[in-house]
Amino acid sequence: MHSLSRRLLLSLFVPLVVFFGVTMVVLDASFRDVAQRSLRDSLDAQIVALIAAAEQQPDGSFEPAAVSPGLETRLSTPGSGLYAQIQSTEPGDVPWRSNSAAGTFIDFGPPIAAGERRYFPARAQDGSELEIASRGISFEDEKHVRRNLTFSVASTLARYNEQLWRFRRELFGGFFVLTLVLLATLGFVVRWVLSPVRRLEKEINAVEEGTRESLGGGYPRELSGVATNLNTLLIGERNRLERYRDSLGNLAHGLKTPLAVMRSTIEGLASEKARVIAGEVDRMNAIVEHQLKRAASGGALLGQAPLEIEPLLVDLRAAMMQVYMRKDLSITVSVQPSAQFVGDRGDITELLGNLMDNACKWCKERVKVDVTLDPVAEPKQRLRIDIEDDGPGISEGDRARVLERGVRADEKVPGHGLGLAMVRETVDLYGGRLAIEKSTLGGARISLSLPGR
Amino acid sequence: MRILVVEDEAGIRESLREDLARVGFNVDLAADGEEGLHAGTQYPVDIAIIDLGLPKMSGLELIRRLREKSKTFPILILTARDRWQDKVEGLEAGADDYVAKPFHFEEVHARLQALLRRSGGWATAELVCGPIALDTRRQTVRVNDKAVDLTTYEYRLLEHFMLRAGQVLTRTELSERMYEEDVERESNNIDVFMTRLRRKLDPKDELKPFETIRGRGWRFAIPRTKAE
Repeated sequence: MHSLSRRLLLSLFVPLVVFFGVTMVVLDASFRDVAQRSLRDSLDAQIVALIAAAEQQPDGSFEPAAVSPGLETRLSTPGSGLYAQIQSTEPGDVPWRSNSAAGTFIDFGPPIAAGERRYFPARAQDGSELEIASRGISFEDEKHVRRNLTFSVASTLARYNEQLWRFRRELFGGFFVLTLVLLATLGFVVRWVLSPVRRLEKEINAVEEGTRESLGGGYPRELSGVATNLNTLLIGERNRLERYRDSLGNLAHGLKTPLAVMRSTIEGLASEKARVIAGEVDRMNAIVEHQLKRAASGGALLGQAPLEIEPLLVDLRAAMMQVYMRKDLSITVSVQPSAQFVGDRGDITELLGNLMDNACKWCKERVKVDVTLDPVAEPKQRLRIDIEDDGPGISEGDRARVLERGVRADEKVPGHGLGLAMVRETVDLYGGRLAIEKSTLGGARISLSLPGR
Repeated sequence: MRILVVEDEAGIRESLREDLARVGFNVDLAADGEEGLHAGTQYPVDIAIIDLGLPKMSGLELIRRLREKSKTFPILILTARDRWQDKVEGLEAGADDYVAKPFHFEEVHARLQALLRRSGGWATAELVCGPIALDTRRQTVRVNDKAVDLTTYEYRLLEHFMLRAGQVLTRTELSERMYEEDVERESNNIDVFMTRLRRKLDPKDELKPFETIRGRGWRFAIPRTKAE
């Protein structure tokens, strides 16, 4: 039930089926009622016709006139489905039975008193269903003897059932088609009504992937509030992060300037105590540096504009060449054209800066940076960055350790330590991946997978 | 040597003034960005130290303005935030090097020396000698518009030659330039770098950018075609 349209369709489909079901049952019952009544009427009509046509024979039996108005000819055709008999109150005395009943045994039931009527369903010998109607009549014959006779007519239900089923088929077929048409209409309406929701979803995805900075306008009244609030949230979040970083920058400046003053004041002194204080100043500085860097990394934010990675790497390469001008090294950068990082400029600069710095520090003379896009990876890991060097590398045993979280700033980790732990934290913030491998150049290869496009 | 120090923190400004004066600089001081801009444009400054977090006008803005006014003296940035982004932005704005706070004065002094020795400084964003183009901002080199991958030493050697196109440079001079404090290195190394540089720039031996002057050194033979 995680789809609105499925919910809507189901919530409409269930009452629809119940409504149609009940309607069908009611219609079926009333149709059966009507059909039964008309069957009984026709049976009654036959009985009346039979009574009118019945003539007592000299031997005491009855013989209805062969052709008389209202009497069905089917009565004289054997096995026609319409049967009749006349019986008296004495058991086994059946003065007349229709020709149609010849060769079949039909139990017309016991005789009934004069003036009574009776209807009941029965089964013929061959198993076919019958409806039997009977009427008790009191006759006074020529000898003025009163004779009570019971006139019965039986009809098979074959035609009745056929009618009933035809009616049911039509009813069900009609409702089935109607349901389909209604559902199709509903599906269409739901699609139409939910199309702004779909658009909202698409735009949010675009914001997530960094192809849009905020949501567009023109939403229906019910959704425009959501869209506006989301936009406010997006922009607010971005501004908040910016302010946060600014104040962190000010804090860093505020803390480090006095440290710098202390440092330069102490440098002039030669005592043992001054040396201790200088060491502590360096330690404080390292802690401030580490914690501020950690706090300042922004991580993935919605609506971040993607940024070209190549100019950034060109600048960083120049900065590295400047920093390592006393070491003869070659830094080669190759970037797949138009590769973009989706995230904060400060974060990616810090990531690449730290990794390239490590590589330059540990290499013999070669550092290689490769940036490619993996279009089949999920958006959060689409940008692949490999940074390798020809230095001593990182042994397998050390790989887990250098990535450990919360490595304290004053803990002197040899090799790629501190920088890498921080890089890993930032990569985690973006839902990316970091792997340490052995480079074909001989040293370490750090592979990052980050949000990109 | 006249040096401009733009730093808002009085303590650091004073200790820098003292230390710089001690090693022989003639120091001008400024406490904020606007003062810095004034001093940088009015006085014949040879080199400047600029703090990034300045009141009134940020250090980055100050550097940009100075470069706009075609001030080409080398600039060393002081930055409290030891972030790569600040370094990259600083270099992009037109600074030449940077030192993070808190610093050892020896470090600052060494960087200043290196910048002064480089001379020419930020004089040109791009040096072009015939088919050879050197981008001092990006530290990249192109020959006939094709990127050539140079190491740090090779790049600096070429930059040195191109800044002094036409001049004869001795092995000793080049050694000093390359190794700075470590001049004791074998000067043979320079020959190794020259060979490598020739091979990379001119693999088919058509351009002949370096002319060997027997007994003296080398001369960059292609004249500067463009200097902006």
